[in-house]
Amino acid sequence: MDIVACIKRVPDTSEVDVIKIDASQKDIEKDRLVFKINDWDEYVLEEAVQLREKLGGTLTAVTVGHNDWDDVLRRALAMGADTGIRIDQDVSAEDTHVVAKILKTVIQQIPHDLVLFGAQSEDFGSGQLGAMVAEMLDIPHATLVVGLEAEEKRVRVNRELEAGTLESYTIELPALLTIHTGINQPRYISLGGIKRAMKKELQVMSLSDLQLSPDALNPMVRLEKLELPPKGEGAELITGAPGEAAEQLTKILKDTGIF
Amino acid sequence: MSGILVVAEHRNKSLADIVHQMLSKGRQLADQAQVELLAVVIGRDIDASAAELARWADRVIAVKNDRLEEPLAGPYQKALSPLIRERKPKIVLMGHSSFAMDMAPSLSVELEAPLATDCVDISLQNGDVLVTRSIYNGKVNAIHSFAQSETVIITGRVGEFPVEDCHRQGQVEEIEFASEEGFNYKKFEGYLEEEAGGVDITQAEVLVSVGRGIKEKKNIQMAEELAEVLSGVVSCSRPVVDYGWLPSERQVGLSGKTVKPKLYLGLGISGAFQHVVGMKGAKMTVAINKDAKAPIFSVANYGIVGDILQVVPELISKISELKGKTG
Amino acid sequence: MAVIDYKYKDVIHRCFRCGYCKFPNNWIDVNNCPAYARFRMETYSCGGRLWLVRAWVNGEIDWSEHFAQIVYSCTACKNCEQQCPLRFNVDIVNMIVAAKSEMVERGEIPPSAKEFLENVQRQGNPYGNSREKRGEWMEGTGIEAYQGQEFLYYVGCVGSYDTRGQKTARVLGKVLQKAGVSFGVLGNDENCDGNEVRSLGEETLFEMLAEENVAQFQSLGVQKIVTLSPHSYNAMKNDYPGFNGGFDVAHYTQLLQSLISDGRLDVSGGVNATVTYHDPCFLGRWNEEYEAPRNVLKSIPGIQLIEMERNRDGALCCGGGGGNFYIDLLGGSEDSPARRRVREAHETGADVLAVACPNCLTMLEDAVKAEELEDKLTVKDVAEIVGEACGIK
Repeated sequence: MDIVACIKRVPDTSEVDVIKIDASQKDIEKDRLVFKINDWDEYVLEEAVQLREKLGGTLTAVTVGHNDWDDVLRRALAMGADTGIRIDQDVSAEDTHVVAKILKTVIQQIPHDLVLFGAQSEDFGSGQLGAMVAEMLDIPHATLVVGLEAEEKRVRVNRELEAGTLESYTIELPALLTIHTGINQPRYISLGGIKRAMKKELQVMSLSDLQLSPDALNPMVRLEKLELPPKGEGAELITGAPGEAAEQLTKILKDTGIF
Repeated sequence: MSGILVVAEHRNKSLADIVHQMLSKGRQLADQAQVELLAVVIGRDIDASAAELARWADRVIAVKNDRLEEPLAGPYQKALSPLIRERKPKIVLMGHSSFAMDMAPSLSVELEAPLATDCVDISLQNGDVLVTRSIYNGKVNAIHSFAQSETVIITGRVGEFPVEDCHRQGQVEEIEFASEEGFNYKKFEGYLEEEAGGVDITQAEVLVSVGRGIKEKKNIQMAEELAEVLSGVVSCSRPVVDYGWLPSERQVGLSGKTVKPKLYLGLGISGAFQHVVGMKGAKMTVAINKDAKAPIFSVANYGIVGDILQVVPELISKISELKGKTG
Repeated sequence: MAVIDYKYKDVIHRCFRCGYCKFPNNWIDVNNCPAYARFRMETYSCGGRLWLVRAWVNGEIDWSEHFAQIVYSCTACKNCEQQCPLRFNVDIVNMIVAAKSEMVERGEIPPSAKEFLENVQRQGNPYGNSREKRGEWMEGTGIEAYQGQEFLYYVGCVGSYDTRGQKTARVLGKVLQKAGVSFGVLGNDENCDGNEVRSLGEETLFEMLAEENVAQFQSLGVQKIVTLSPHSYNAMKNDYPGFNGGFDVAHYTQLLQSLISDGRLDVSGGVNATVTYHDPCFLGRWNEEYEAPRNVLKSIPGIQLIEMERNRDGALCCGGGGGNFYIDLLGGSEDSPARRRVREAHETGADVLAVACPNCLTMLEDAVKAEELEDKLTVKDVAEIVGEACGIK
């Protein structure tokens, strides 16, 4: 089975208390941030490697970004991917449609029975990219996949719905799946493994190699600006006798869609 | 500006909860722009739902077909795209649900309509549609506009748009679903309910977490009841595992699991560093603790300083009561 | 599948299962191997583990999560190395670490160990807390950044981020200030010392940390280092020289001992307490420093020092080594080594259990709570006791 795994690099913002917006108001200050592979993409790579171990074939990892993004490809190679391809273009500010066009062009040119994406990314979390690429490639897709069984010509998947229910599908290959967290347990990648992967070659391509001119990639959604959300202050304390406090809390939980 | 179309997710003969939120927002936008609010519902037994939609929408389009009983992305997209091409709404609005994640992006590509997902706000300014998205772990808001286009597609985040009840009497229009396609390349095999036992707290959306403040093993029962009414799972801090009251698979924290639920409700949890490290990624944290100085109150969004044994039973009954009302 | 490259494949068979590895130096019972004390199965003793690892290396058994858990439950306390009568005893802990290394290379390690290592890789500490918060413990103390002072005060990850550890880091800093010691800290620029990383089998990551730290210290002109944690002490004293790091390294108890005997630190304020001292493995068995902490305690008026039955090289490990203060494979039972140790401390009649390691501090303090002895036994770091004697809050 020929698998293509599309992965990305994100800043680790979970640990940061306050993020600073830069002077352009269209990006955040990134110099003190630590970068890592997108959480969902760890599960993508683990799933891809396990499938390859079981069914044989090839595994190609693809990413779109400047040369720091080689990190995520090294990780894929350390896990056993055969090839890593980076499209040398900073698309961090681009809308999903643009990125989808680029990836569609790359994927079209390589053998692909199964194309895997993470269900969403930690930074922007739009969850659109995989399904868009599938439509552009004109292959069936399923998103939020939490269970996957693959045979040579088809896959059986479980998609996650709300409230603990799953939807089950049988999909003919070639197909595209977006993988949700919890589908497997991503293995640890040792530093030694990554160092050894440094010696493997990466393919770097430019937009012109793909015959895509920057003008052809028109954004459909534009970023006007970034702002900090209004500040919260420690816990809002709910006062009153147990019954009253419980009632207020119940209302808050209902309003925020918890139940 | 032409109308606003709300796509109503329909499952098990009723409208998904989020639909009312999107209808309310759609109604507000339609009133502001003085355009029509349309709603489309697709399925088999949809008469009751169509009537419900008509309370908000000026016009309800009911696409009835036996083969459309389940809200599946493929068939729904097939039904929606010609409808949208024909009616040309300015905004197509739906809740950001699992269903929407499967369908909206491919619909967007098929129609070449810009898509913004999981939006926390939608506004109209000088004829332009603007949306706000919450990014970077909720620490930054991004304001987006759309390139020139006849139709834009927006999915809204659950819980961001309050439901405002409405009592119109919109017109219901039934139309046919023309496609004969079998969708065999992506064949729906059925639903699966989650298995019981062997609990993975990292996958739960709601965690009711107990700490030392729960005092006795038998009080965990109360936490289980609360978890149940919230469709959640019981987790705990390390001392509870040390005492042997819960198995270690339930433990959240440094030497337990890292969790990122929608709601983390800490009962009698002091918020010691080793524990907080495992749950600070929770979207919303509520803490109930007798100690006003407990560190958990500086990481929680809401807190009640009180006796868990008194507050929790009240909470269970109030939640059950409210749930019973909205069914 | 056999593990062809296993470093000790030619000698691991030599364990003949005498069982000595579980005994303390005074032979009073078989519960001095912390993992064996917890699980009471031979597999969890050093000898048992060696046989299990041998079977894995020879392809007789397959890797499993249970196997990984057994291997990773070793806290590297060195009780076994000390008690083993065979000549290869100097390598037995290394054999377990080498087995962990093999698993690390395959990516097959317990999930909590994975988190530990990924967090260190990313944020320089096992908790995954931001590097930008590493220096927060210093706020309000007036402790300065290292800029060529006599000593680099190296705090370590537990002292920097763990709230209980932070208290100790602060008190020690203030004690050093009171004694007029010239020192500075690295604050947000401090990185993990790598000791636990090495004992978790991630050798390449350890090398990277050691190289980076040595380069950083050298560029700042560091010559003398005083550490809060015995783990840092061990790595910097014994391992960093192999990376061109020839620094003069002391554990803080050694520095305090000389400050007190030189009259530079006045502890005459005294502390009234019956204290029993728990030897940390990385200060005790690993580096044979048993007396400095005791001398510090004995020099404080009002302190009555009582020894536990197992002391010095016979001390029972608190169960926090080998990354276990985080990955916690030995918790969850009244047989956990930390709880056993706390009961032992309580039996001496002491009201204070003194420690000299931030890992021991959190492990034993949690155990005191689990044993419901909070009213009877307080766990304090030696630095905190000294602080009290000097009148520091």
